[in-house]
Amino acid sequence: MAYASVIGSSSVIRGNVRGDSSLEILGRIEGDVAVTGDLTLGREAVVVGTVSGARVIIGGSVQGDVRGTEAVLIAETGRVIGDLSAPRIGMSEGAHVQGSVRTDGVSSAPSRASAQRASERASERASEPRAAAAAPMERALARPAAAAPMERAPARPANISSVAASAPSHAKAAQLPPRRQPPPPVIQAPRPGARARKKLARR
Amino acid sequence: MSGSVVGAGLIVEGEFTSDEEVVVEGIVRGTLSTGEAVSVSGDGVVEADLQALSVSVAGQVTGNVTASSRVDIQAGGRLIGDVKASRLTIADGASFRGNVDMEV
Repeated sequence: MAYASVIGSSSVIRGNVRGDSSLEILGRIEGDVAVTGDLTLGREAVVVGTVSGARVIIGGSVQGDVRGTEAVLIAETGRVIGDLSAPRIGMSEGAHVQGSVRTDGVSSAPSRASAQRASERASERASEPRAAAAAPMERALARPAAAAPMERAPARPANISSVAASAPSHAKAAQLPPRRQPPPPVIQAPRPGARARKKLARR
Repeated sequence: MSGSVVGAGLIVEGEFTSDEEVVVEGIVRGTLSTGEAVSVSGDGVVEADLQALSVSVAGQVTGNVTASSRVDIQAGGRLIGDVKASRLTIADGASFRGNVDMEV
């Protein structure tokens, strides 16, 4: 098919490309690409940014999310590092995709599905650093001698959660480690009164 | 290669560099530079500094234009900016506002 717009193979765009046109990218774009028409990335095309169109055909490489309002098709030379979402997704043998894939209906209005997708993406992002942080923790626990103070630290949140689970029970609350109880009240010894002072003076 | 075409309805914002012919029927904002010709068609809008071998303006260009060969402003074309080119033609009916430097 003839595309209304073509970014040639020697062309480099550092910035965003958007509009109502259909677009064929043969060159390199460092920025987001969003068109309402069909979008094709040629074999040598590179996009570093989000890509969206009606029917999106990826023959080149994309570092970013790919969204198609109709379909996303990854050709055998295609390479995507990012999430794919479209009502229809096709992937040829040899295609390389690293990211989550969703074949949900993509409507222009924010649907429950897209909200769910957004929340899932947020939880994914949240889980990534947690997974990364788990590695040093495991390393710390592997050392038997040095692990002792570390082991106490994770035990505390476990206590808190058990208390939270049985919040109304005061008996359980009393079993908390002593360090969590307030210090005993300091009772001030009463100053000698006037009589005592007279007694002392008489001696 | 056939070069690049920024079709009607497409907006390119940023730094656009190429070694091929670039045809602008849509909108280009930022900078546009190519070693080949640039032609801005009737509905094309370029709000960018433009550098090319040759530039043909039938649409609207706002920005400084540097061409190593020539600049042609067609009838109906509109150019606001300085032109640096060894050859410049302005067709009858074209509009142009800016300085001309032909000592390239």
